[in-house]
Amino acid sequence: MTDRAIELVVEAGKAMLENGSEVFRAQDTMEIMAHSLGIQDFHVYVLTNGIFASAEGEDGPISAVRHVPRVSIHLGRVEAVNAISREVAAGKLDMEGAEKALREARAIPAYGPRVSLLAGAVGSGCFAFLFGGAGPEVVTAFCAGIVEMLIMQLFHKGGVSKVFTDIAAAAACTALALAAGNLWGMGYNPSGAIIGALMVLTPGVALTMGIRDIINADYLSGTIRLFDALLCAGCLACGVALTYMMAVSFWRITL
Amino acid sequence: MDLHFVGSSVLQFCVAMVATICFSLAFQVPRRHFVACGIAGAVGWVVYFIGTAAGLSVPAATLVAALPLTGVSRFFAITRRAPVTLFLLCGIFPLVPGAGIYYTAYYLLNNEQLLFASKGVETLKTAVALAMGIAIVCSIPLPRKISRKQYRGPKMN
Repeated sequence: MTDRAIELVVEAGKAMLENGSEVFRAQDTMEIMAHSLGIQDFHVYVLTNGIFASAEGEDGPISAVRHVPRVSIHLGRVEAVNAISREVAAGKLDMEGAEKALREARAIPAYGPRVSLLAGAVGSGCFAFLFGGAGPEVVTAFCAGIVEMLIMQLFHKGGVSKVFTDIAAAAACTALALAAGNLWGMGYNPSGAIIGALMVLTPGVALTMGIRDIINADYLSGTIRLFDALLCAGCLACGVALTYMMAVSFWRITL
Repeated sequence: MDLHFVGSSVLQFCVAMVATICFSLAFQVPRRHFVACGIAGAVGWVVYFIGTAAGLSVPAATLVAALPLTGVSRFFAITRRAPVTLFLLCGIFPLVPGAGIYYTAYYLLNNEQLLFASKGVETLKTAVALAMGIAIVCSIPLPRKISRKQYRGPKMN
C-alpha cells in the first residue's frame, strides 16, 4: 500500500514538472500528498528536470527517481494535479480515486493544431499593433505568425532540437516581413512586423519561472531555466541577424 | 489627460487582452480562465503604456507594470482557486522584452556598437525589472484569514 502511495506521489510530481510547473510547487504538492497519504519519512528533492525521493516503504526504505527531460507547457494539467493534491489533503479523495484522477489529469487533451496556429497568428498581429504597427505591419505579422507556428509544429513533430527550431522560426518570419516590403511599398516598417511575430517565440516562460525559482531559493533550478531563456533569446537574435545579412548581400536591401 | 489618450489606452487594453488570450491558448490554459488571463495581461500592458507615455524608461515602466499585473494574478489565483502560474505566465507576455532582443540583434548587424550595447543592457535591465516586480508582489504575505481559508492544500500562489 505504501509503495503504491509513493508511486502515486512521485508520478503526480512528474506530471506537474513535465507540464511546466515551478519546482517549488511540485515539491510542495508532493510533500503534502505524501503527508496526507501517511507515508513515513518522505523526503524529496526536485530539480527542473528530475525528482529524487525516498521514503520508508513496507519492507525497508525505498527510493524513487524520475527524469523529466522534455517540458511542454500545459497549464491545464498543472491546475488539475494541483486540485487533486488539495482534495487528497482535504481527505476527499482516497488512493484509488487519486490514481484515477491523476490518470485523467495527464490525459487532458491539448488544443488542436489549427486552433494553436490561429492563436499564434492573432497573437503576432496583436503584438505588432501594440508595438506601434499599423495596418500593413499587423497583416504581415499575422502571416509571419502562421508561418512560424507551422514551422514550430512541423519541427516539433519531427523531433528537431529547440535551438534549431527557434533559429528557423525567427529567420522565416524575418524573411517574410522583409519580403513583404516589396508588396506594401513606402510607409511600411518591417521592424514592427518582425517584433510582433517574434513575441510569440520569446522565452517569457523560462525567464519568469527561472526568477520565481531563484526567489524561492532554488538557485540551481532557477539558473537552469535562466540559461534556457538566454539561449532562446540568443537563437532568436541569431535567426533575425542571419536573415538580415542574407537580405543585405543577396537582395541588396538597405538596412 | 485628454480624450484621445484615454481612447487609445482603451484600445491598447482590448488588443493586449486578445494577445494574452492567444498566449493562454498556446499554454493550454482551460477555457474558463481565458478572460482572467486576458485581464491580467491587459492590466500589465496598459500600466506599461501609460508609464512610457508619462516619460518613464522601458525598464522602469516594466517594473511598475509588473506590480499590478502580479497583484491581479494573485487575486485571480485566490478567487478562482487555481495556481498563480496560470495567470502570471500568460499575463507577463506583453511585457517580455521581445522588441529589445530584436533591436539588439539589429544594431549589432548595423555595426552600431554604441546603440547595440545600450539596447542590450536595456533589454537585460527590462528582464530583471520584470522579474523583480513579480518577485516583490509574490513575496508579500497574505493576511492570515485568507491564507487559512484558502491555503490548506498545497501552495496556490
